[in-house]
Amino acid sequence: MAETTSLDSITEITAAVTEIAAAETGVPAADLTPDTDLRAVEGVDSVKVLRMIAKIERRYDIELEDEDVFGVATVGEVAVVVDKTLREKA
Amino acid sequence: MSIQVPWSVLPDYRCFGCSPHNLHGLRLEFQAHPEGLQARFALDRGFESYPGVVHGGLVGVICDETIGNLIVLERRRPAFTVSMRTRFVTPLLVDRPYRCVARLRADDGDLFHGSADVLDADGVVCATATAVYQPFSLDQVRHQLTLGDDEVALLDQAITATLAPNGA
Repeated sequence: MAETTSLDSITEITAAVTEIAAAETGVPAADLTPDTDLRAVEGVDSVKVLRMIAKIERRYDIELEDEDVFGVATVGEVAVVVDKTLREKA
Repeated sequence: MSIQVPWSVLPDYRCFGCSPHNLHGLRLEFQAHPEGLQARFALDRGFESYPGVVHGGLVGVICDETIGNLIVLERRRPAFTVSMRTRFVTPLLVDRPYRCVARLRADDGDLFHGSADVLDADGVVCATATAVYQPFSLDQVRHQLTLGDDEVALLDQAITATLAPNGA
């Protein structure tokens, strides 16, 4: 179930993505920035990234396009595709 | 404790997903879950895709089945799936225990929206699904059902009188 019903700002989305990424990767949120390349984080593989995407989709009640999922690398890029999908849905 | 689905009033129902009478089926059983409905399962090699891996299509069947039965139990209306999207995170392995948890979104218009997660024994998400359902009355699809009038009446009564997973 979505935890948000109105459009979040890109800052709020980035914070949410960071929180989920931290939980999934084990990297403290404070060490993740919008420029952090998720697949370059030690111990992070494509499965962990997909699991993170699944959690983000559940949190926002959205379905990200596979082209977006496999085209993003950084926390900030994930936030941008979430923001784009939310706006398309609104 | 397992929840009785309304179809169980038909002694010979053969639903591939949840009938105990279909020896080729999944024979899923459902339990109440704080978010909606849950099905625990472990599939053997009869449901295999790659060696040791459960066929991915069946993951969709299990999610669809759990959401669909949650709809009939909570909304007291049967519904056909009109679209479904599954995200596969990791393969499911044969003979390993998993559970599927389904929930419904607040109704929005005439269609029902549901989602489901498949989790492994450690609670790690292996797959997720979202789906949309169109409710129907048994009368509307009467010509498509291989049921007698008395069976339709029995099923209709069972659906109407069914208890939601939360006991409502």
